[in-house]
Amino acid sequence: MRADELLLLVAGGDHRAFEELYALVSGPVYGLVRRVVRDAAQSEEVAQEVLLELWRSAARFDPGRGSALSWILTLAHRRAVDRVRSARAAGEREQREALRAGEPAFDQVAEEVEAGMEREWVRRCLRRLTDLQRQSVTLAYYDGYTYREVAERLALPLGTVKTRMRDGLTRLRECLGGAV
Amino acid sequence: MSILGTLLRRQDLHSLAAPYALDALEAGERRRFEKHLRGCARCAAEVRELGEDAVRLAWSTAAPAPAALRERVLAAVRTTAQEQAMDRTAAREHAPQLPPHVWGAQPPPGRTRTPRTRSLFVPLATATAAAALVVASLFAVQAHRTEDRLDAERSRAREIAHVLAASDARAVTSEDARGRGIGVIASASAGEAVVTLGGYGAPPGGRVRQLWLMRPRVQPRSLGLFAADTPLVAKGLDASSTSLAVTVEPAGGSAQPTGQPIVQLTLKSVGFGE
Repeated sequence: MRADELLLLVAGGDHRAFEELYALVSGPVYGLVRRVVRDAAQSEEVAQEVLLELWRSAARFDPGRGSALSWILTLAHRRAVDRVRSARAAGEREQREALRAGEPAFDQVAEEVEAGMEREWVRRCLRRLTDLQRQSVTLAYYDGYTYREVAERLALPLGTVKTRMRDGLTRLRECLGGAV
Repeated sequence: MSILGTLLRRQDLHSLAAPYALDALEAGERRRFEKHLRGCARCAAEVRELGEDAVRLAWSTAAPAPAALRERVLAAVRTTAQEQAMDRTAAREHAPQLPPHVWGAQPPPGRTRTPRTRSLFVPLATATAAAALVVASLFAVQAHRTEDRLDAERSRAREIAHVLAASDARAVTSEDARGRGIGVIASASAGEAVVTLGGYGAPPGGRVRQLWLMRPRVQPRSLGLFAADTPLVAKGLDASSTSLAVTVEPAGGSAQPTGQPIVQLTLKSVGFGE
């Protein structure tokens, strides 16, 4: 069964449907959270919150506004970004970055575990963006920076960053549109 | 604020659609933008599209979740209550609509007032998930149910989900002055409908409630018996299906209805009968 149907059953309190849904989405949810939050223990915490929230708030899903998977991943991303920002604000980031200096980047670890077609498509399409479009989009989405922070890091005016984000997403759509 | 200032500010808000889709706004800005979205249909559509684009970036990040996470989540789920979203129903009220009396010349008995018929008239998917939940919640799995019963319920829940998932699924409900009524979610393309009765209680003297398909110039066809409050999935509906009716019949049901319907509902608004 697809995530959309499962989520409707979950909204009705169906525990077995939730288990099926878990099997379907826990990988995408955990992977996305891990990519943004990076720290393994914190990623697990956030992923747990998100997956539990699916159970609690399944009734909020509105099939008319997009697919269940989009809804779920949007939720996961929002929670991951919130976490990474509060961790940064607490100054933990510098510490963790220092600790991580000697470790392989998470990307490489994940690569060994799973190298799906979709992953390859997204990478290929990201490579087709201009440098500024790609950096604006990925610093925000994968690293959880606000567009103001992105502007600072890239030493660009705010307006430029906003435009690059929009153009980057649009070009990604054009490129990935052919992939599914 | 000057008009120019207002315009500039609005322009500025519009330009936040992409950062918003990427979750790249600060908390305060996010709240302001969401407030703006509620009054700006164009922005909402744009944000939805950009949001779909942003989600594609998550395709490349899937990674197996740690095994221990599953146990923790499932354990937490067992003790966590769910939110009910029924109050979110975006059902639009329409003018009352009378079911046609295809059941013979006499009006159905027991009705002292015109029943209120509420029709969602919009594809279920765009209306709200809440309509689906009216049905889905009836299947809320109770901890004390036996495995067999669970299986039966799950397979029925799947049949129901099948109807609900149809792109042309629509809902219509009718309620009389005493709060008794019938609800139908139907898909003309699937030729199926999920039918629920509410407020009638148990039929007297071991009798049963039977659902009938009504078509012009054709004998009523049985669509099954209602068991307590659980919904019936009616199959094999076609364009000639004008309405559904429920009668009270002896235990086991009848080949043809033996009495007047206790409730009848036209299927026109859910895509049938034309």
